[in-house]
Amino acid sequence: MKRFSEQNHYEILEIPRSATAAEIERAFRMAEAIYSEGSLAGYSVFGDGEAAAIRERVETAYRVLTHPESRSAYDAMLGGRESAPATESSGEPVEVIAATEDAADPASRPQRSAQPRDDLELEEEEPGEFDGGRLRRSRIHRGIEIEDIAGWTKINPTYLRFIEEDRYTDLPAPVYVRGFVTAYAEYVGLDAKQVAASYMESFENGTRRGRRGRFLGGR
Amino acid sequence: MKGPVPSPTAAARVIPVGGGKGGVGKSFVTANLAASLAQQGKRVVAIDGDLEGANLHTCLGVPKPRCSLADFVAHRRDDLEDLLLETPFPNLRLIAATHGNLGTPQPGHARRVRMVRAMRSLDADFVLLDLGAGTHSAVMDYFMVGDDGLVVISPEPTSVENAYSFLRAAFYRRLRLAMASHAMQEIVVLAMDQHNERGIRTPLDLLHEIEASDPEEGKRFVETMKAFRPRIVINEAYTAEDVKLGFAIQSVARKFFGIECDYIGYVNHDEKARQSVRDRRPLVESYPESDAAIYLNRIAKKIAAEPIRVG
Repeated sequence: MKRFSEQNHYEILEIPRSATAAEIERAFRMAEAIYSEGSLAGYSVFGDGEAAAIRERVETAYRVLTHPESRSAYDAMLGGRESAPATESSGEPVEVIAATEDAADPASRPQRSAQPRDDLELEEEEPGEFDGGRLRRSRIHRGIEIEDIAGWTKINPTYLRFIEEDRYTDLPAPVYVRGFVTAYAEYVGLDAKQVAASYMESFENGTRRGRRGRFLGGR
Repeated sequence: MKGPVPSPTAAARVIPVGGGKGGVGKSFVTANLAASLAQQGKRVVAIDGDLEGANLHTCLGVPKPRCSLADFVAHRRDDLEDLLLETPFPNLRLIAATHGNLGTPQPGHARRVRMVRAMRSLDADFVLLDLGAGTHSAVMDYFMVGDDGLVVISPEPTSVENAYSFLRAAFYRRLRLAMASHAMQEIVVLAMDQHNERGIRTPLDLLHEIEASDPEEGKRFVETMKAFRPRIVINEAYTAEDVKLGFAIQSVARKFFGIECDYIGYVNHDEKARQSVRDRRPLVESYPESDAAIYLNRIAKKIAAEPIRVG
């Protein structure tokens, strides 16, 4: 059981050493929320100046781990002894949110055995269609806000909302939507390929229906 | 899924439901989880442990309980089995807490120990124990009946503050019992005072203090920490931020107190939930298709699926 001052950057952010860019971002945003001034989860626990000091450590961890070069150097400094996520048996901090299974960079993809537990396990739905409603539920189950995704992906939050509301005809060209949905899924921690394929199928059908609807409506 | 399933073990699995603050929905959550487990075919007993503010019977549609836990406290009845009441729902029975003695509502320590033992021997798969507000010793003793009790929290500062106090109180109480030496027990008692002279603020501070004084007791401390695995439920979540609060509390409890909580789910704000309370029926019975009922059912399934923890 380590004190804050003894924790490394991964432990500070509660992520495994194999964390993807999306996982680091999510963990950072979570930590930012926890240690912000007046945070509901923390204000009654932190002593004077304590939250600010931790925030500084969180920001340093984020800065180091989000740049491939500084992360490599830091990993080299930590050495190989902690190359597996310190979660399974050691009682060390475990990751807060489910890992992304389809990371863009295969080298940074978490190992199956390193999957953190998803405590909520609220997504009971069987494999199948990923429509906007299901994406929204998955996001909320992980405590992620639209603005979190928009901040990382740089996608206009209005488009993210349109995706969740299945407002296909208000969305831009399919190539953009595929990119948006892939980035959304990566951030939320879903299988991006599966989600994009499923959503785009609905999108194609939806836009076709939408066009026909407008035509029949005399527009 | 319907129909009673034979109990895998003789001892009932007792799940206390606390949270520190009144009005966060402990009775609502207890009643619904009990009803949901019963719907899954488990044999369930719901016990109202709130002798000073009993209302679980109302949530379960039992308007006028003819006997209650107060009879056990007052030595009018010695067997908890005699206090079991049928509810309108199959597989689900109730021990109410009505008509308590306002002068001495809580049982003495010996009676409390006996009550906890009797709860474990009830003929049921699950016993859900709805606790009163606060961190009174009786409440904490009941919470200690299992390692993985539920802590119900609503997304409000008062509830979160009280939940932390509750978690700390539960942990310290458990720890004091785990320490073998009188000297270390005394340090635990000292640490329970937030303004203690040694500057021990959190269980983590206490661990370092104890490890420095007595490494063997330090090991016992760590074992106690590992075994204690309270589970968090966020009730009345309106937004994704409220859902996130569960993860945030989990993180703060881990980092500041060294307490590993499981965030097992949230129940969203739902008008149907209010309606079910007004109807004096569990939501999972009255409005099983409502979002809140679906989330409650998921939590219940998770509880049912978990193996019985040892240690």
